Formats: sequence, structure tokens, C-alpha cells
Amino acid sequence: MGKLLRVGITLLVIALAIVAGSWVWNHYLYSPWTRDGRIRADVITIAPDVSGWVTQVSVKNNQAVNQGDPLFTIDDTRYQVVFAEARAKVAEKRSALELARHKYQSRQGDADPQATTEEALEIYRIQMESAQASYERAMAELEMARIDLERTQVVAPADGTISNLHLRQGNYVNKGTAVLSEVIANSFYVTGYFEETKLQLVQVGQPARMTLMGADRTLTGTVVSISPGIADTNTSSNDQMLPRVQQTSNWVRLAQRIPVNIALDPVPEDIHLSAGMTVSIYLDSE
Amino acid sequence: MLHELSFGGMLFSPLLVLVPMAFILSAVTRFALHRLDLHRYIWKQAWFDVAAFVCYLAIIVYLFGN
Repeated sequence: MGKLLRVGITLLVIALAIVAGSWVWNHYLYSPWTRDGRIRADVITIAPDVSGWVTQVSVKNNQAVNQGDPLFTIDDTRYQVVFAEARAKVAEKRSALELARHKYQSRQGDADPQATTEEALEIYRIQMESAQASYERAMAELEMARIDLERTQVVAPADGTISNLHLRQGNYVNKGTAVLSEVIANSFYVTGYFEETKLQLVQVGQPARMTLMGADRTLTGTVVSISPGIADTNTSSNDQMLPRVQQTSNWVRLAQRIPVNIALDPVPEDIHLSAGMTVSIYLDSE
Repeated sequence: MLHELSFGGMLFSPLLVLVPMAFILSAVTRFALHRLDLHRYIWKQAWFDVAAFVCYLAIIVYLFGN
């Protein structure tokens, strides 16, 4: 009896240890967490819509701006000239239109059918319509010149913070080439790169806890989306259009990392976030 | 368990702290069994020690892991 009790107690503790040990193993390997998370933000790259010298830079690096605040000004001398030219052209076309209209109307009012033939009257009418079209075109060109002139003043497209400003007064900027970027205010979110072995445990709507590297404070958030795809290096081709297939080792496989986007709950005022910071992410089961 | 330990910029597994805790607990258990003369109820002392260690580790991970 004593022998049976001795064996029984020991085997019971060993059985408990097997259960507990496998729980620890699964907990570590298969709970959805990653150290590979990054803070991200929506960034606008600001490019001027007209080319020219920068005459004034109104913002400093890392400065907070509101929507519509002036960022920088491009030399508008040439656009002023174009505008003046377009305005003069409008005046000219207006006079031409008035002349054509006058000719047509005076002939139309002519009672004497001998003085103006039907055909001549038709020609005057067509000339008047042509002058009308020319006038409208000149108006459109004036509007274009006005838009260009207006856009020599570049304004902030949204509330946010200016980043990476290397623009200085006197630089030449080209139309459509981005010269600075703006991080949109309160647009921070987190992207976690989860191993594919853990991805089946990730669901949209799952609550997430995040800790910044080197900080003890916990941020909270919610999973909002799981990326539908990442690049597969085997699908790229060489210049003969043959696929570049990577060789893999047979027994060692590295799990792919799939981006999962997490929306942040409001962040406490005293925690500073910058896009690109590292976070560890733990997803709680619902 | 899941939270990494940061020490001088290097990250360490939290097991580095949790394993010694479990080890101390199992050492205390072994010592107590000897003092209370209960070890005669144990069949294979080494098996029992290892199993007790794993059980303590699981409890500690459960309590302090998150």
C-alpha cells in the first residue's frame, strides 16, 4: 500500500508537469504577439503646383501647422506677367466680339434686302459666334493664369506637423516634385508584423496592448485590418522573363511576417509618438 | 512571459527571471520535504524534482507572464 502511494504521488506530479509544460510551450509559441511592431502615421508629401524660386519659407522644421497655413511662396513675377497678358487678351477678344456683334446686328436691322444678302448675313453671324468662342477661350486662359498665380503660395493641406524640411529661400522648386512632408495630426496607428504561424489567431476587432520600446506604459488599441498580401520573391523575373526561384533549406523554414494594422485608442498627452517607433504588441483573446 | 526584459539596451527573455524563481521554489520544496521527513512518500526523487520545477514554472508564467 505504501509503495503504491509513493508511486502514485510521483506519477501524479509528473502528469501535472507534462500538462503544465505543454501549456507554457503553447502559450509562448502560439499566442498572438510580436516584438516587431512599428508606429506609423499618414504622411502628405507636399509638392508645388508651379515651378520657380522660393522667395519665402514660412515654416520651420517640426512645426505644427493648421490647414490653410502658408508654407512657402514661389516667385510670382513670371505668373504676374502671364496673368496680365491673359487679361489683355480677354480685353482684346471682348472688343473683337463687340465688333462682330455690332456688324451682325446692324446688318440684321437693315430693312433693305438689296443691301445685305442672306449669305452675307449668315457670314456675319458665324463671325460673331467665332468671336464669342475666342472670348470664352481667353477667359479660360485668364482663369488658368489666375490659378497659377494663386498657387505660387503653397498652403498646408491639413492639420499636422512639418517634417524633413530642407527647403530654403532661393531654392528652385519644380512643379510636381515633393519638397517637404507633413505628418497629419492624430493619424498615428500601429502596424504589427505577425508571423504566419500566429496569424490564424488574429481577428479583426481583437483588443491589443502595446508597449513602446524602453517604456513601461501600455497603449491600447484594436485590430482593424490584416494585410491581404506581401511580396513573393519567387514571382520576380530576370531579363529573359524566367522566374527567379529562391532556393530554400528543406528543414528550416522562416515564417513570413504579415502586416496587421491596429488603430490606437486616444494616447495619453505625456506619451510622445513618432512614426517609425518600435512597439511590442500583444493581442488579447476576446 | 511575453514581455521582454530590457537591460542596457539588450533584450532578454523574461524566462531569465522566471526560471530562477521556479528553481528557488522547487529547492525550497525539496528542503521542506527532507526536513518534514516526507520524502519517504516520494518514489523517484529526481523525477519528482523536475516535475515540481515545471509545475512551478507554469504557475509563475501564468501569474507574472503578462
